[in-house]
Amino acid sequence: MRRGERGLYYVVLSLTVLGSLFPLLWLLLTSIKPKALTFAIPPAWVFTPTLENYRQVFVGGPFPKYFANSLLVSLCTVVIALLAGTLAAYAFARFRFRGSRVLQVLLLIPQIIPPITIIIPLFAIFRSVNLNDSPLSLIISYQTFTIPLVIWMMAGFIRDIPIELEESAMIDGASRWQALWRVVLPLVMPGLAATAVLCLVYCWNEFLYALILTGRDSRTVPVGISSFITNRDILWGRIAAAGTVVLLPVMLFALAAQRHMVRGLSKGAIKG
Amino acid sequence: MIILAGALGYPLLYSFWLSFHDWSMLTFRQGVNFIGLANYARLFAEPNFWRSLGVTFTFMTGAFVVEFVLGMLLALLLNQELKLRGLFRATIFLPMMAANVVIGLVWRMLFNYDAGLINYLLGTIGIKPVEWLSNTDIAIWSLVLVDAWNTTSFVVLILLAGLQAIPDEPMEAAMIDGASRWQRFTRIVLPLLRPAILVALVWRMIDTFRIFDVVFTLTGGGPANATEVISIFAYRAGFGKFELGYASAISYTMIGIMLVIAGVLFRRINRMEQLY
Repeated sequence: MRRGERGLYYVVLSLTVLGSLFPLLWLLLTSIKPKALTFAIPPAWVFTPTLENYRQVFVGGPFPKYFANSLLVSLCTVVIALLAGTLAAYAFARFRFRGSRVLQVLLLIPQIIPPITIIIPLFAIFRSVNLNDSPLSLIISYQTFTIPLVIWMMAGFIRDIPIELEESAMIDGASRWQALWRVVLPLVMPGLAATAVLCLVYCWNEFLYALILTGRDSRTVPVGISSFITNRDILWGRIAAAGTVVLLPVMLFALAAQRHMVRGLSKGAIKG
Repeated sequence: MIILAGALGYPLLYSFWLSFHDWSMLTFRQGVNFIGLANYARLFAEPNFWRSLGVTFTFMTGAFVVEFVLGMLLALLLNQELKLRGLFRATIFLPMMAANVVIGLVWRMLFNYDAGLINYLLGTIGIKPVEWLSNTDIAIWSLVLVDAWNTTSFVVLILLAGLQAIPDEPMEAAMIDGASRWQRFTRIVLPLLRPAILVALVWRMIDTFRIFDVVFTLTGGGPANATEVISIFAYRAGFGKFELGYASAISYTMIGIMLVIAGVLFRRINRMEQLY
C-alpha cells in the first residue's frame, strides 16, 4: 500500500467513526446542558454542566421504577432463554433427529415475521388471562425472539467444539449431562456470554412489545422515554438524560463482548 | 434426557407456542364475529394500505442501496492491514446496539428545522436549511439516512466475513495477469462475494420491512402519512382504532409478503451453496 493511500484510508475511517459516534455524544452533551441552551443557535459547546435533567428524571418520578422493570424483564428473559435455548442448541448441534433440519429452518420464522403481527394475538391472550400490565407478559413474549437467537448462535458455537472431547468424557463414565455440564459448557463460555449480552441488549432496547403490553405499573424505560413526547412539547433534556442512562451500559457491554458477538452473529447469519 | 428435551420437549413447546397464535387469530376472526374474507377485501380496497406498502418498499430499496454501497466501501477498507483496525471496527458497531427509541429521538433533535444541529452546520457552509422531517418528499429519505447510520455496520459485518473467506490465489493470479484494481474487484471479489451479499440482502430486507421503533419516534408516520410504513399502518389499525380483526388481516398479509420474499431469497442462497 502506498503512503498517501494509507493516509486516505485513515481519513475515511476516522470520518466514519466520527459520524457513528457523534449523535451518541450529542445526546450525552444535551443531557448535561442547562435547559436554556438545549436548542441554542449557534450550538453551545462550552457551558457549565448540570445534572438538573438527571435529577428531574430520577427523583420523584416513576423512572426508577421503569428501570427496575426493564432490569427485571431483561434478566429473567435472558436466564430462561439461555437455559432453554442452549439445551435445544446442543440437541441441534449434536444429534440428527427426524425433522431436525426442518425445525431449525422453522426457527427462523420468528426472526422473519414482523413483531407487530405477533403482538396482536399476544395482546389478546394476555388480556384474556389478565396478564396485561405485568412484567410476566413481557418476559413470556420476549422468548419469541430470544430463544431462536440463542439456539442459532449457540448451535454455531457448540459445533465448533470437537465432539471427541465429549466422547472421551463419556467413555470415562460421564453421563451426557455431565459431558454437557463439565466439558461443553466451560468451552462455550465466551460464546454463551456474548449470546447473553446480545439478548440482554435486545430486551433492554425493545420497544414495540413493551409499548403495547405494558401499562402504568410495568412500563419499561424505552416506553418511559417516549412518554416524554407530550402533546404540548417534547422534554428534550429529560429524553437526553434518560437516553444516556439507557445507552451507557449497552455501549460498555457491547465494547467488551464485541469480538465474540460479531463472530456469533455473522456465523448465525451466514449459516442461515 | 437431553435428547428428550431437544427432540421432543422443545418442538412441543414451540408448536404449543405457535398454536397459541393460531388459536387467537381464529377466535378473533371467527369466534368473535365471523365475517369471512371481509377484512381482506376491505384491506385490498384501501388506498392507504397500498400507499404504505409503497412507502415501505421505497424505504427498503433506498436503505439497502445506501447501506450496501457504504457497507462495501467500509468492508473493503477494514479488510486491509491497518493499525487500530479493531478499534475502528468496535466503534462503528456501536450504533447498531443503541436503543431504537433513543436513535429516533436523537435524530429528531438533530434534524430539527429551526434549531437542529444539522441545519446549523449546513448553514455555516452556506446551504439553506432543509425540511428534513416536515417535507413529505424528504422525510422518507431522512429515514433512510437514519437507518443507514444505524445498521450499515451490519452489512459491513457480513461482507467482511465474506471477504475474509476469499482465498488469496485468484487475486494473485489476476495481479500477475495484469488486471487493474477495478477489474479485480468486479471480476473476482464481487462474484465470490455473492453469497455474502445475498445474506446481507435477506437480513436487511427482513429488518427494513418490519421497521417500527425508529419511524414511530422519528416521524410517527408523518408528515401527512408520508413515512407511514406498513408496521405503523398495522399498529394504527390495531391499537389506534382497536380493530384487532382488521389488524390481524394486515398482519397475515405482511407475513405472506415476507415469506414470499424470504422464500425466494433463501432458495437462491441454497442453490448457490450447492454450487460451491
